[in-house]
Amino acid sequence: MGLVLKYVVAALVRYWLIHSDYWQTLSNRVEIATPLNSWKRLIEGIYLFEHNIDPYDGDSFHESPLLLISFYSLLKYAPYLLPGVFTLIDILTAYFLYKTAKIFVRILKSNQEKNIEVISDESKAMMLTNLQLEEVPEYVLSVYLFNPYSVLNCVGMTTTVVQNLLLAVSLWGSVAGHRLVACIFIALATHQALYPITLIVPISILLADVNKGCKKCSYIRTLLVFILCWGFLILTSAYIMNGSYSYIYNTYGFILNVPDLKPNIGLFWYFFTEMFEHFRLLFVCAFQINALILYVVPLTLRFKNEPVLLATVLIALSTIFRSYPCVGDVGFYLALLPMWKHLFTFMQQKFIAGCAFIITSVLGPTVWHLWIYSGSANANFFFGVTLSFATAQIFLITDLMFAYLKREFTLKHGSSRQVDGKPAKLVLR
Amino acid sequence: MSKFRNIIFLLFLISQTISVSSDDFKEELYIKPLPPMHLYVYFQFITLITGDTYEHSHLAPRSLKEIMSRFQVEELHLTLTEGQWRHKQWGYPVMDAAPGAELYAWFAPTVTDVNANWKKLSATLSGLFCASLNFIDAHNTISPKMALTPLGAMNIGLNYTSQFARYASLPREIVCTENLTPWKKLLPCESSHGFASLLNSRLIHNTNYHSIGVHIRKVCSNNECTNYNFEVKQTVALVYDFKIINSINWSFKLLFGQGLFGGCPLSSSSKIYIDLTSNDTLPFKLSPKPISIIQSQRGGSDTLLAVYDIKADSPMINIGAKHSIDNKFSVTIPPPLHFNRYVLGYGKEFGGIVTEITNTYWAPIDIILLENAPWWLPIQLSTLRINGEAESSLILKQYYSPGRSRQRPYHLELLMRLPPKSTTTVTIDFEFVFLKWQEYPPDANHGFYIGSALISAKLPTAKNYTSIPVDGTTLESVINASKPWYPAVFRTNGAMVSLPTPDFSMPYNVICLACTVVALAFGPLHNICTKELVLKPSGTPISLRQRIINLFKKKKD
Repeated sequence: MGLVLKYVVAALVRYWLIHSDYWQTLSNRVEIATPLNSWKRLIEGIYLFEHNIDPYDGDSFHESPLLLISFYSLLKYAPYLLPGVFTLIDILTAYFLYKTAKIFVRILKSNQEKNIEVISDESKAMMLTNLQLEEVPEYVLSVYLFNPYSVLNCVGMTTTVVQNLLLAVSLWGSVAGHRLVACIFIALATHQALYPITLIVPISILLADVNKGCKKCSYIRTLLVFILCWGFLILTSAYIMNGSYSYIYNTYGFILNVPDLKPNIGLFWYFFTEMFEHFRLLFVCAFQINALILYVVPLTLRFKNEPVLLATVLIALSTIFRSYPCVGDVGFYLALLPMWKHLFTFMQQKFIAGCAFIITSVLGPTVWHLWIYSGSANANFFFGVTLSFATAQIFLITDLMFAYLKREFTLKHGSSRQVDGKPAKLVLR
Repeated sequence: MSKFRNIIFLLFLISQTISVSSDDFKEELYIKPLPPMHLYVYFQFITLITGDTYEHSHLAPRSLKEIMSRFQVEELHLTLTEGQWRHKQWGYPVMDAAPGAELYAWFAPTVTDVNANWKKLSATLSGLFCASLNFIDAHNTISPKMALTPLGAMNIGLNYTSQFARYASLPREIVCTENLTPWKKLLPCESSHGFASLLNSRLIHNTNYHSIGVHIRKVCSNNECTNYNFEVKQTVALVYDFKIINSINWSFKLLFGQGLFGGCPLSSSSKIYIDLTSNDTLPFKLSPKPISIIQSQRGGSDTLLAVYDIKADSPMINIGAKHSIDNKFSVTIPPPLHFNRYVLGYGKEFGGIVTEITNTYWAPIDIILLENAPWWLPIQLSTLRINGEAESSLILKQYYSPGRSRQRPYHLELLMRLPPKSTTTVTIDFEFVFLKWQEYPPDANHGFYIGSALISAKLPTAKNYTSIPVDGTTLESVINASKPWYPAVFRTNGAMVSLPTPDFSMPYNVICLACTVVALAFGPLHNICTKELVLKPSGTPISLRQRIINLFKKKKD
């Protein structure tokens, strides 16, 4: 009953906000809509497509052709459904996250039982109880449904709403062991935004863990299915665009090359505004490597036993470092954090990070208004806010990983911090 | 259109007395009072180049001929303008020009790489006229589909115009003496004799509007149109403000600082035409008396033209007009088509461009509106509204080529039918672009100029219309030249937007700060991935002395 109420309230809030006068303002906010996902650009793309002008010829549309054609038909046949559709997609995302968390809790419990012999007697009290575990999915659901970031994202009618659903379904598919579902949806997400490509690593590990048997075969099978799906999507998109691959330059090329420097909550815009042209390519490569592949291998080696944590961290890192992030992406990974509720006691910076989140969320729109509308501030103010927002997110994520390591250590060695009777400190070596 | 081009013939046939290889030069001056407060002065110098080879030139500037043949240009129009022509108050000029520099050309169908030739052409002209035409590049060039048509004779296919046409305007360009001097050097008499001696840069840059231009086109040399000659037309258009010259009575001495000492000895005809039509409302007397007064009836408008024929050996003449004291205040009747353009919105995030076009005629008028938005002003076609309507029945045909950042401008052409006695508002939204810090011009907060929109119309009436018919060359051809319609290309006023600017003093700081944030993530992640947690005895606190000793000990190791 409570669950249904949550869904209904969240849906009503979203539906009402879309129909309110704030919709126009919200869908144009820089924090919510980027050149990649904004509703305005989608409309422009559909308009051009409708008038037989290649939307990828110009610089106004950067979504994938699949999304273009689906929204084109939606707008053509049932435009009145749009607010409902966006609300429904977001509610579905929450539902799949809820399902994911439910299965994840089971996995967590079975892992705990498996590793019971390595847990020291002292730390037995720290083991997760059923009561603790049962409330996790509820938290995940509530955080996604009522987090202002995801609400605003849905109200802004950005394509990130769709992106979040694709990610949620692929996460659910992988924890539930449905290889095809996981691969198809992660391929769809990759096709849309490129950065989710890193998720194929935790997904293949998860699938191999869940579907018992030959691990290597499972990795190869997952990878093959993913590549086939992605290739098929690329071909289908080209087929939609009458065999032209020019869309690749305008979607992946746009994401990677960062030609539009409109401010957003990320790190790219001011950095490349102020970049010396001579070094632009070097830094574009450095930043994209940082966002895409730099952390995949080391984190995989470290957290291969915890693929869901790996997925959470990779989603978060790619959100922080991607070229056009928006609050919708932040809202999505924040909803995954309650799955790690048992780590919160080991986190040291959650208060600092939490305060920074709140302060930057208030300051961002304020300094934006001062800069763009009143002309009394300049770009540095907004840049400063986005920098601290990114820093807060980084603190949150690294703190989460440290907390995981500390908990593992404590489970193994007990909670006493003593060596040979002398007080000791936990340090990295 | 092709039919119309086919009927283009050169009106004057080359007289038998002039040998085949020699050129013909004519100079003309047209003065029209624009009541109540302005005076329009228009010079045109026409050189007809006969013969094909550009190596031998007689009166025509060799530099221009070389440019035409080297880059295979069929037709070329270059204007450098300062000020804004006010169509609503002043009626129509003989040749309209966009504020700043404007260049458009048609290339021969044999040209394989039009863009390369275009780039070379603009760079060469930039040197020739000391103007910043070298800034013309792919990112501000368009190929007009409907709005512009060649004025000269061409044997061409249907698709010719758009494929080989290039148009660019630089609204920021400032026009001054340095452009006028090289321009004058192209004339056979330069500025020493003839009408060009009146062009005293100190005085002509003191006007409300001044525009210098070079227009080169092909004209048929015989009735069958099998051979072509090039016609080079150099023009100067000036609008004097009576307030600035401090008198309502004008004379050559007042306008140009000196009288006219005869025509250019090399010209075959030097004529001055003064429009007397406004004499009805604001009476004035000309002195000295004109040689003849011609009445011209053209498309529903009667014009009285006073004509002076100036010979090379004529004595100094100082034509002037004296207004009778009891001048009546006149109400200016706006021309059949006038327009206005402005930018909407506040803040530096979203905005819109509005073009208002008013048709004061009693019948509908078909126009082609060409919007040419630079790449840093991305217009969104889905926001195009005609009188607030998204799908307007006024649009008969539409062409849109979306722009690309740093590569191509946005180009929209609309063929519209303007209903009689109405104002049509064309609105389109745009989003402000954030440029890289090195892409801002000096004084970035001055604002960015948006070029004029082009309005190409077939006017049903010749009221306020002074243009020379397409088959004519001299101002004489205007007389009694009634046609079913009168083609005209107008430029709306430009506009200005202020783009958001970054802090130009910050590059190093920004690079350092952003990289620091990346490092903030990299450091802990590196630690997490490469190190393991261990318990380290914290031990008893060490004294400061011991710590210093330890420091040295480490160094020894």
